[in-house]
Amino acid sequence: MNAARNPFTRRALLRGALGAAAVGALGACGSRSTTPITSGAVDLRIWTHDPGYVTAFTRAAGDPAITSGSAFTFQPRTTSVAPGDIVTRVIAQAVADGNTPDLAGVVIDQFPRVMGSAIAENLFVDLTDTVAPMGDDLLKLAPYSVGGKPYGLDSDNSITVLYYRQDVLAEHGVPEDVATWEELAEHGERLARDKQVSLGMVSVGDNGAIVNGFTQMLLQRGGRVFDESGALVLDSPEAVEVLEFLARGVKSGFLLALPDPYGSACAAALKSGRLAATAMPNWYNAYGLQANVPDQKGRWRMRTLPRFAGGGHLATTLGGTAFTVVKDKPATQAALEFLRRVYLTRDGQVLRYHAGGYLPTLRPLYRDPELLAVQDDYLGGQRVFDVYSAAADDLPLFHQAAGMQVLAAVLGGPVLDALRGRTSPRAAIQAGIAAYRQQAKR
Amino acid sequence: MSTPTLERERAKPGAPPPAPGSWWSRHQREAAPYAFISPFFVLFGLFMAVPILVGLYLSCTEWAGLGTPKWVGLRNYTDLLTDASFWTSMGNTALYVVFTLLVVVPAALLIAQALNARGLRGRDVFRLAFFMPVVISPIVITLVFGLFFDTEFGIVNGALKAVFGFGGIDWTGDPTWAKVAVVVLVLWRWTGYLTVFFLAGLQNVPRELYEAAAIDGAGPVRRFTDVTLPALKPVTAFVAVTVLVSTAQIFEEPFLLTRGGPGEATLSVAMFVYRAGFERQQLGYAAAAGVVLFIVVVSVGLLANRLLGVGRDHR
Repeated sequence: MNAARNPFTRRALLRGALGAAAVGALGACGSRSTTPITSGAVDLRIWTHDPGYVTAFTRAAGDPAITSGSAFTFQPRTTSVAPGDIVTRVIAQAVADGNTPDLAGVVIDQFPRVMGSAIAENLFVDLTDTVAPMGDDLLKLAPYSVGGKPYGLDSDNSITVLYYRQDVLAEHGVPEDVATWEELAEHGERLARDKQVSLGMVSVGDNGAIVNGFTQMLLQRGGRVFDESGALVLDSPEAVEVLEFLARGVKSGFLLALPDPYGSACAAALKSGRLAATAMPNWYNAYGLQANVPDQKGRWRMRTLPRFAGGGHLATTLGGTAFTVVKDKPATQAALEFLRRVYLTRDGQVLRYHAGGYLPTLRPLYRDPELLAVQDDYLGGQRVFDVYSAAADDLPLFHQAAGMQVLAAVLGGPVLDALRGRTSPRAAIQAGIAAYRQQAKR
Repeated sequence: MSTPTLERERAKPGAPPPAPGSWWSRHQREAAPYAFISPFFVLFGLFMAVPILVGLYLSCTEWAGLGTPKWVGLRNYTDLLTDASFWTSMGNTALYVVFTLLVVVPAALLIAQALNARGLRGRDVFRLAFFMPVVISPIVITLVFGLFFDTEFGIVNGALKAVFGFGGIDWTGDPTWAKVAVVVLVLWRWTGYLTVFFLAGLQNVPRELYEAAAIDGAGPVRRFTDVTLPALKPVTAFVAVTVLVSTAQIFEEPFLLTRGGPGEATLSVAMFVYRAGFERQQLGYAAAAGVVLFIVVVSVGLLANRLLGVGRDHR
């Protein structure tokens, strides 16, 4: 073949292909368009770990009660991402100027990762103006605030209640309406000694689970881990008292020590009847009880938590997932409006409850007739919002800080030592604080 | 097709050198081999050398993942020296390495020896059974071993109670027992894998050597020490170095079973790096710990390589 006669030699084609690839690669490195979309159909890229949110957002986008009057036609495009990976990937994509989502669901224990080094400020939209009209009606903003500015809206109030086996309590003469934890502990010690039945559990698995379980009770007692400025305020009589209470409970058998509230050991405890009550958030009904012991349908009930004799709150909270809006993207405005409509309106909150069981985060919803009428078949047809509304009125504030992950790592061991009787609760708290101060100075 | 310069030169031996042309036409003969092997080096550079250099740079910075890394010189390294968690993780990792070398490798050798026995029935089934743990999903391992080692409902404690009358061991909650639980998982997971290497080595040991030893009066133990072990030295050395290097980077077992707990009782260096980078957003610090791990692993690996004589002809 003669090159002079045919310009399409293999070499020429190869050069052409390389050139085209280079142009493509360089183009891919360039900045993406950030021209804001102001109306019409808009694809919203949503990253979440929970299929329940996919259902909720999909239904919301097709619900005229939520979308009417908007200049946008919302088209959710969801991607399932593991909870721990969402923050990592959002940051990585942002650095690479890549495909960040428009809405990212950040699990509460991952949010501290964006609280330092101005990551939240650089990545997410400041929601101060969005939440301003809600005033004090919007619960649970504090854990997702940095420098007093909220960067995420929680999907669920995650109210902790006391689930209990009504039949077991009746059989062993334990009143359902005990007023205090101390009173319940007395019954629990008797049941553990005589019947090998526990009325609560503590996590003794990984550090995160251990610290979460402790924090949940500490908040109810009126203690705090961090204050609003991010300073550690764990050195308190409440912290020692709660840990003493938990350690006593484990020692007496009133509280069952389990690796985690969802694993196989917990399932065995529930199935065998060894665990007849537990203080867990609202979502434990579906993910813990119904998932592990569907055959015990109708035997479980729930109530507000007993109070601590020393004071504190009627309720507490554990867990949550906040949705954040990634800033400076073409669909940022649309994502913000979609989030507002699904999370900050009455219709959106009711829809989310029906779609995934997510408790409202707006205070007035706990008096909403539609929700008050909800009955839970698994809990024997109980009107659950009678309990939730009482609890929502007295929820403690929970602040996080950039060092939360450090604290979980260094406090888990000492708390476990105290629960197992290897050290005193006071010494455990002090050891955790000292280790935190040493590591968090970085 | 146009005739390349190289072919023209070959076609006319002894011809005068071609007139000066492009650089490529003048150096084609010398450069061509490098062009052929260049894909490997390009990929090596992109995916090995560049990340290592970037890691080295990051280790001297403070960076949360977003924005510009702030140069801090060797501060991350000096912080590591005074970080109790880092030294705990180094100690734990050393324990895992020592256990693997002293227990897992010999266990694999003994199992291989048993599997290599003449007349063994169901050999393939045994091989499959021993190899199976390597290919089982980590999720399954987490679930199953979590239940095995549970204090209240675990099978291990249940069996201990049934056989010996005690069984209240807090396998994953007690700092000492948690280490034991992790090394048991390591033993279960990797022994069968290493067995395959030894088995391959054993099948290459000439039968005549055993027959000669037997004629000389050597019993089974003597045949093992005087025939099997020397014949397997190259394989053993390879396995030992491989195991040493991979165990020094152990991550999955403690992560799956205990998440490094209780406290930091089972934290490994690789987990320390992961925790700093992906839980605390301390990417510079994580990089520094990674560099230290890299240096330690390479140094110990080279040392072991030299001591054990991997790759040398032992004949």
